[in-house]
Amino acid sequence: MIRFLTHRTLQGIVLILIVSMIGFTVINLAPGGPLSQYAMTPGMSQQDLDRIAHQMGLDRPIPVQYLDWLVNMVSGDWGKSYRDQSPVLDVVWRHMWATLLLMGTSTAIAVALGTLIGVLGALKRYSVFDYMATVGAMIALSIPTFWFGLVAIFFFSLELGWLPAGNMYTVGDQSFSDYAIHLIMPSIVLALVNVAIWSRYMRASTLDVMDQDYVRTARAKGLPRWRIVSAHIVRNALIPMITLAGLQLPTIIGGALVTETVFTWPGLGRLFIDSLGYNDYPVIMGLLMFSAILTVIGNFLADIGVALADPRIRLG
Amino acid sequence: MTAIPDPATRTRFAIFRGPRVRKFMRHRLAMIGLLTIIFLTLACFFGPYLLPYDELYIDLRARFSPPLTGSHILGTDPLGRDIAARLFSAGQISLTVGFTAMVLSTLIGTVIGVVAGYFGGWSRIGLMRIVDAFLSFPSIFLMLTLAAFLKPSPTMITLIIAVTSWMEVARIVEAEVRGQSSRDFTAAARMVGAPHWWIMGREILPNVIGPIIVAATLTVARAILLEAYISFLGYGIQPPLPSWGNMLNNAQQYLDSAPWLAIVPGVAITLAVTSFNFIGDGLRDALDARSVQ
Amino acid sequence: MTNTPFKDLTHPSRRGFLGMTMLTAAGLGLSGLPGAARAQATGQVIVGISQEPTVFNPHLLHIEVDEGIHWAIFDPLFSVEPDGSFAPRLVTEVPSIENGGISEDGTEWKITLKEGVTWHDGTPLTAEDVKFTLELQKDPDFRAARRTGHELIEEITVVSDTELTWKMSSAFAPYMAILSWTFIVPKHAFDGVDPNEAPFNQSPIGTGPYKWDSRAPGDNIQLVAYPDYHGDGASIERIVVKYVPDLTVLYTQFKTGDIDVIALQGISPDHYAEASTLEGKTVQLVPVGTVETLSLNLGNPVLADKAVREALYLGVDKTTILEALYYGLPTPTETYMPQQSFYYNPDLPGHVYDPEAGKALLDEAGWVPGGDGIREKDGQRLSFICSTTAGNHVREQMQQFLQQSWKEMGIEMEISNLPPAVMWADHWMQSQFDMAVAGIIFLTGPDPDTTNYMSTDSINAQGGAGQNTFQVSIPELDELLKKGATTVSPEARKPIYAEIQSMIREELPFLPLFQRNEVRGHLEGLQGYEPNINVRITFWNMQDWSWA
Repeated sequence: MIRFLTHRTLQGIVLILIVSMIGFTVINLAPGGPLSQYAMTPGMSQQDLDRIAHQMGLDRPIPVQYLDWLVNMVSGDWGKSYRDQSPVLDVVWRHMWATLLLMGTSTAIAVALGTLIGVLGALKRYSVFDYMATVGAMIALSIPTFWFGLVAIFFFSLELGWLPAGNMYTVGDQSFSDYAIHLIMPSIVLALVNVAIWSRYMRASTLDVMDQDYVRTARAKGLPRWRIVSAHIVRNALIPMITLAGLQLPTIIGGALVTETVFTWPGLGRLFIDSLGYNDYPVIMGLLMFSAILTVIGNFLADIGVALADPRIRLG
Repeated sequence: MTAIPDPATRTRFAIFRGPRVRKFMRHRLAMIGLLTIIFLTLACFFGPYLLPYDELYIDLRARFSPPLTGSHILGTDPLGRDIAARLFSAGQISLTVGFTAMVLSTLIGTVIGVVAGYFGGWSRIGLMRIVDAFLSFPSIFLMLTLAAFLKPSPTMITLIIAVTSWMEVARIVEAEVRGQSSRDFTAAARMVGAPHWWIMGREILPNVIGPIIVAATLTVARAILLEAYISFLGYGIQPPLPSWGNMLNNAQQYLDSAPWLAIVPGVAITLAVTSFNFIGDGLRDALDARSVQ
Repeated sequence: MTNTPFKDLTHPSRRGFLGMTMLTAAGLGLSGLPGAARAQATGQVIVGISQEPTVFNPHLLHIEVDEGIHWAIFDPLFSVEPDGSFAPRLVTEVPSIENGGISEDGTEWKITLKEGVTWHDGTPLTAEDVKFTLELQKDPDFRAARRTGHELIEEITVVSDTELTWKMSSAFAPYMAILSWTFIVPKHAFDGVDPNEAPFNQSPIGTGPYKWDSRAPGDNIQLVAYPDYHGDGASIERIVVKYVPDLTVLYTQFKTGDIDVIALQGISPDHYAEASTLEGKTVQLVPVGTVETLSLNLGNPVLADKAVREALYLGVDKTTILEALYYGLPTPTETYMPQQSFYYNPDLPGHVYDPEAGKALLDEAGWVPGGDGIREKDGQRLSFICSTTAGNHVREQMQQFLQQSWKEMGIEMEISNLPPAVMWADHWMQSQFDMAVAGIIFLTGPDPDTTNYMSTDSINAQGGAGQNTFQVSIPELDELLKKGATTVSPEARKPIYAEIQSMIREELPFLPLFQRNEVRGHLEGLQGYEPNINVRITFWNMQDWSWA
């Protein structure tokens, strides 16, 4: 076990290093820079921009800048945002909870609906429902999220006027119901893809479990059907889903990116888009690192999940 | 491991013969998908010749015509250009980007997967760590970073998509090859002194072609979707070149006054992506390949 | 449609009439009765903007949206009013040669501060703060947004707590305008800290009518009225500056009443017609100083030919572009000078759309159509690339329209738009573009000096320092610019700048398209929302706002 842990930790570190190097190089090698947005300031000149670039250390060779950044990052200083000077970790942290709220709600919807559809589909395999669920899931996986969001805004905000077109809350009214009503559209739009994925996996997993001896035994014992389904099938079918949940962890940032843009949700995804627009290198790097770390942790959890679920697999 | 073709029928690329084709043909959704793609491709590449409008012709007097205005079947855009004509030429670009990105990423993925799986040992560990590294970039982040800092053009977008989506194929192929390289015929080939590239290309590749085809089909779907995402966010293909994604990018601000601008290209993307996914699903069933989710 | 209701901006402002009760611009509502105890500020207003203010130290490098917050929190020594005049803020009197504040040769300045002005933390304002502010601009380690003008200051002497004098190495007429944009910051907030990193930059302390309350990054900034403000205080207690990154969403929220005021880029032109009919909302066109140009790089061998530039201009169907793509909102112009400026030259030759004349001009200059219909001369194709910020839809539409118009004249224009970070970096600053669609504010406040954009010394690509990315270089122009900057009297400067404008119109280093008008909207009940073309931001006078 200890060998497994050190091994995976080392792997994770190497991985994060590679990711950081690629990210840092791409950002810094590309033409343009964080100061270009000031080019149109009245009275500006290239000399002034060069002077400021020098003050910010942007004119140093990239490897030097990278090492500098790396040493600081390891010691917990992820740099400061070029936009508002606040520490990157603070910036990430502040946007995180908006994303967590959105992702949490939408994951809850996706898990509940996905489990229901998946289990029903497996129980009534090859029925019309199962068929519809299969086709529905594939279509859901094919619809661009942002487009689905636009269509939803068109119908529910512009045409019907039932729901707000964007934002997390109304200024001045930050009540629970206000948050809730703002959450409805983005979380459902975001859940669409996850319902599809979750229901497909759940269906497969349920089918596996249904073939197991203990289910047959339970059936032979004449237990009521709902007991078999709830106590034996669903419970056991959910175990391998831990893996899926682990693998989905890094999508917390990326997954909501487009939805956050369409619904102007102040989360990490929109922070990333904003930071790209402003060439806020430290924040872009911070978000890349953050997602890479989540991926490492997610993969790790997924492996442990698999091992726990399937005693035949040994860690190591 | 999953089904490996029965050695008796193991003639090269046997996969395309006999029962598998029939099985695929029986997969109703896959057939619908295939027909849709054929129709879409024909429409995009030949449709423009049937329309009275050029996709670049600007007529400001006719801007924002709703669908079915005169001979503008799908209406016009903010510059009075015919949306049908633009949809078709956008389709040419989106489909080409999707298809080329698929070819590239399948190539990269296959080569890395085969090499890693065949040689095993350190080269496997090294290569698969690279795969892991690429997988831990949430691809939308990496793509946006690349697209934002490089000059966006269809070629660049294709490369960016290819570079960020070959890992799936590599993983699948590596797993398949690992199973194959220990088998008798590979060992036999090795014994008679066949060079590595020969064994990889002639003995192993044909046996893993099934999963590769399935993965490739799904990659097209993904690539089309990715192009749409990047272009929608404004970092993709730039006007005046139309693509399905950037048609939507321009549409957002006219959502209340000219919703058809958003609806038309969105339907096209969904149709194309769904079709490729259906085909992939059908192929997977027919080729009985390893599940690629 | 093209006549803007705010063409006449000469009505006086509140601060221009200190000590006098006065009606607000809307002609309604008495506010801030001096002498009587000041009424308690009440209520709140939500200002919606599409960019997020993030730099709160007014002297750090920042973008224009930040200045909206600066105007609320800080005071300059004197401010510039909508009519271009200066009104005292922290000083008792705006310095001038007449009142002895400025010496005859323009190099010696004397400033007297008002008594009893306090910072938001209660500390009194002193002349030391002003000295610190001016010196901060010259601090080589400080990331100053602007040094022009301040660099000329040689020595600053603090005479007393409320009095200081300084000497400049040479007269510099634009310095009045620069000072009117220079917000005074408290010296004590920077004691012993690196000014680039001071905590002040995150929670600014000013002398202005509003003080810093809170910031929810990525979402909103809240300001509250400062009860001890030295001038007429604010009548609205709380200001919420809400950041909504999407113009369409911003407009929707204005429509539904989530936002009281739309500022900055305002309502997008395509929503103007609908917005004007909204119940209970006032929607106005407000001229701003930005001139939309087709900037040309004279270093490009094709565009260096003046006949080509003239032909291009003749091929621009400005009326159609303005009416169709911009819904008739902007004001067509022939110059870089805002039409509201005292220095505006109205007698420039008008633009005509005449592609035939353009073709004739090109024929005459030796540009003849080649095999593919594109003109050529000496083996050089009449072809160039036009770029702008990717994602600006209306500009992209205009580019495509121009592409079609010019193609009919045998001119080939390719479109290659770039992400902002690339577009305005070396591509723009080092004159690597051929043609660029750029909206430029040429002036600093009301001052007509544009040396930075037009003098030979300001070409970065040729080793200069400035923003002359067109690479325009005319000795007579350099002379005129120098003369204009050192002449103090407005009447004497006027003919100089009239001549500069006609020289630029003649030379066409950029094709002037139009002067922007922003569509600004607010609730009908909000009064005192007055535009000011001499500042970079439309919500500059929030202390004058009130609810009916």
